[in-house]
Amino acid sequence: MPQGIFQVMARHGDNERKGLFRRLQGDLPIERRFFRDAASREGIDEQAVLDTIRALLREGTIRKFGAVLKHQKAGITRNAMVVWAVPAERVEETGAMFASFREITHCYERHPSFEGRYNLFTMVHAGKGTIENLIAEIARRAGIFDYLVLHSEEEFKKSSMEYF
Amino acid sequence: MDTVDKKILNILQTRFPLVPEPFDAVGEELGLTGDEVIERVRKLKAGGVIRRIGAVFDSRKLGYASTLCAARVPEEKMRGFVEAVNGYPGVTHNYRRGHAYNVWFTFIAPDAETLERSLDEIRCRTGVEDVISMPAVRTFKINAAFEL
Repeated sequence: MPQGIFQVMARHGDNERKGLFRRLQGDLPIERRFFRDAASREGIDEQAVLDTIRALLREGTIRKFGAVLKHQKAGITRNAMVVWAVPAERVEETGAMFASFREITHCYERHPSFEGRYNLFTMVHAGKGTIENLIAEIARRAGIFDYLVLHSEEEFKKSSMEYF
Repeated sequence: MDTVDKKILNILQTRFPLVPEPFDAVGEELGLTGDEVIERVRKLKAGGVIRRIGAVFDSRKLGYASTLCAARVPEEKMRGFVEAVNGYPGVTHNYRRGHAYNVWFTFIAPDAETLERSLDEIRCRTGVEDVISMPAVRTFKINAAFEL
């Protein structure tokens, strides 16, 4: 649940920074004075915008500030969701091990598990031709051989959430 | 996209300079002028490589509920189902995947009750009953950056 001051404020929507949050969750125009436009529209100075972003990062309300890519266009051509059946006592170590792979961008334990046994979920991104080998290598390193590879066949939607 | 573009993208993804003139700071690091960086970044955006530059909020920290859903959708119901699901602003990713559960989407809502209600609504409106929800109970990694 919300803990940081901005988290509480954002949750209740009653703060003077809401307009700024709305701008930050979207797309800021590419200008030399990158934060000036958002600042002037909110009637604050650039330093206040920068301070707010730093505070949001510090309390974890925003996970990152920066460029979000379209990975297909960036040459990361394949994505696969791989779901793994991992014994409960091995979830901790296996999850941490999966997280150490650069090509694994997301890793969660989910409940209920898929088909009653696939409880660890990973997203694997790689260039064409390497993804199958990579998944086999990850399986070998983890010692987990009961898994499903769910390739993306069609993108129906990819967007950024609007919270404010 | 050349190696300079890739270097710029890596910096902008992982350690965007929080200073009044960030592109000048990137240029300084790479031996380019701020204008050269800005021109490249504008091209990368126009070409669709950069989706946006901004903040990525943590839904859980804001108290939102989120889940991953898998649905078994017969081909004749596919169009209507995808349209109904995509209509929810809280659905941010939706893919066809090669499995009997052929549609996989993520769903974010202000709270768990709203989420459940929306899923019931989807089942009811589309006639696709088999929609399962698998919320995360532990997060090991979320990394939206792609090292290039």
